Amino acid sequence: MIRAENLSKVYRMGKIEVPALRDVSLEIKEGEFLAIVGSSGSGKSTLLNMLGCLDKPTSGAVFIDGVNTASLNENELAEIRREEIGFIFQQFNLIHSLNALENVSLPMFFAGVSSEERMKRAAELLAKVGLRERMHHKPSELSGGQQQRVAIARALSNNPEIIIGDEPTGNVDSETGNAIMGILEGLNREGRTVIVVTHDTEIAAHAPRVKRMKDGRLLEQ
Amino acid sequence: MKDIFLLAYRDIKERKARTSLTLLGIAVGIAAVIALMSVGYGFQQSVTGELVEMADLIMVLPGKASLGSEYVELGSFNERDLKDVGRIGGVKETATGASSMEEVEYRGEKTVVSIVGIEPRDVGVVFGDMVKTEEGRFLRDNDHKACLIGHSIAKDYFDEEIRVNDRLKIGGSKFRVVGILEKQGGFKSELDSEIRVTRRDAKSILGNDGISWIFVRVRNIGEAEEIADEIEERIDENHKLDDFTSAMTMGSVIDQLKTIFTLLQAVLIAIASISLIVASIGIMNTMLMSVMERTHEVGIMKAIGAKNRNVLSLFLLESGMLSVVGGVLGCVLGVTGANVISIGIGAALGEGIPAIVRPEVLLGGILVAVLVGVLSGLYPARKASRMSPVEAVRYE
Ligand SMILES: Nc1ncnc2c1ncn2[C@@H]1O[C@H](COP(=O)(O)OP(=O)(O)OP(=O)(O)O)[C@@H](O)[C@H]1O
Ligand SMILES: [Mg+2]
Repeated sequence: MIRAENLSKVYRMGKIEVPALRDVSLEIKEGEFLAIVGSSGSGKSTLLNMLGCLDKPTSGAVFIDGVNTASLNENELAEIRREEIGFIFQQFNLIHSLNALENVSLPMFFAGVSSEERMKRAAELLAKVGLRERMHHKPSELSGGQQQRVAIARALSNNPEIIIGDEPTGNVDSETGNAIMGILEGLNREGRTVIVVTHDTEIAAHAPRVKRMKDGRLLEQ
Repeated sequence: MKDIFLLAYRDIKERKARTSLTLLGIAVGIAAVIALMSVGYGFQQSVTGELVEMADLIMVLPGKASLGSEYVELGSFNERDLKDVGRIGGVKETATGASSMEEVEYRGEKTVVSIVGIEPRDVGVVFGDMVKTEEGRFLRDNDHKACLIGHSIAKDYFDEEIRVNDRLKIGGSKFRVVGILEKQGGFKSELDSEIRVTRRDAKSILGNDGISWIFVRVRNIGEAEEIADEIEERIDENHKLDDFTSAMTMGSVIDQLKTIFTLLQAVLIAIASISLIVASIGIMNTMLMSVMERTHEVGIMKAIGAKNRNVLSLFLLESGMLSVVGGVLGCVLGVTGANVISIGIGAALGEGIPAIVRPEVLLGGILVAVLVGVLSGLYPARKASRMSPVEAVRYE
């Protein structure tokens, strides 16, 4: 499903080079649930950004369904992000001027889905994550946990095979965090591939497979 | 499609203060252009419109006369010239006049006024039926020592207002006022400050029977230019001089005036365009700020699958919407401004010049606004659309 081959990422800040990823190779099979743990600054977000096609590696390649993403142009990458991957951020990253329903329907809007169908599906997804009563609320009127559930619904809107979460529980209390992991487990049971980054080992315990990162490297376990 | 409008609209709405300032910028720019064009066009119409009614007229003067340069009088015509002009084919009627500056005395007060000697029946040839008396009557053939005075002469020239039947002393001899003309203004404003007498009386005042001008009406306006050329040739021949005669058709005067107005308008529009350029810098600034502020949002949109062109069209739509509203507002302001200016001119000159708002000017104004809006939104929009998703999401 997703295969990373010898990924390296070097950030250049003026003359200083910061190696954030060093020769990372990883294979994630269809329907797998993987947690990546590691201390702050170990390169987890950097790796996820590559896997989620948000950023390009300095060297190495990411294959999604056997397609080398390095060979794709910007539009094709945007299409992969839109159709195949649902990305969940630690900071929720909802659009403040739009309500929950509109936020969830935005990826469908970019995909050209008709307005009626968008609203119908967005409402279903919000109901699925337990926000039936909050559809017309703006993000500022929702709690952190509720905002993250809107973000999960948004990640699901174009029915992607892959769900990627970069510390999706990082900004909520542990109870809400467990509830969110519960939703992700449910998505995994539906057959979706789920990759979650966390530095919370309790959260990582939800995942059958856990990988550890340190100093830009993936540790063998 | 509806939703992207909504999205753009919300972004605009969230930034009310800046948006309204930008709107005002575009609106003022467009309004300036529309107002100046409408006032200019109204002015042109009110001047040339009057002349168009006299399009069959040819003015024949001794000397070099042309619009924009000083008229240099070279002498006067004589009866033979007049007869020759009357014989040219296509000439409907002719009128002559003699004018000179003479001293006029009224109740002990003296001043110098332009005296025009004209055959009473010729008044119609020169001015058609447009000129009427306010009081009294026109001159008659058998009038002796009678005069018809302009409106300003009656009201303004002397401390005391002149009334019909009052006596004036012109060039030493007494004249009776038989009529006062209505106020003319505009192109015919010189009538306001002239005194008309019969040709016979003019001869005795001036001491000669020279003809200062000949007005000719032609049967067919299409032949006016040819006839004018022939008039010049005939009279020049009579006097054995080159370029002694200037025969100007009203058509050529109108054309020259139109050229002058077009030039004038071009200059005005060029000045007004500066405000449009300033306005477009304003839009660009607003859009750049809006892109900066929404870097994070753009990052989110791209992260969840927006293509560059989705982002581009969103920002372009935003600047487009701003400028359409600005353009419409500019039209409203422009029409209002044009009317205010025309009322102002009317109050200042005592003569109304109606602003003429042409629909194509309004349409053009909106089009220009949209063009300015979209062009100045293009750079910020491209900038937004090309941001890298990770970098943009990181930006707070
Ligand atoms: N845009 C960037 N420019 C420069 N350096 C960066 C950039 N992004 C990340 N880094 C550096 O790369 C390294 C890895 O960062 P990364 O964000 O992947 O860590 P992380 O494991 O996600 O940490 P955290 O748990 O705190 O989110 C860090 O040393 C960080 O400073
Ligand atoms: Mg991170």
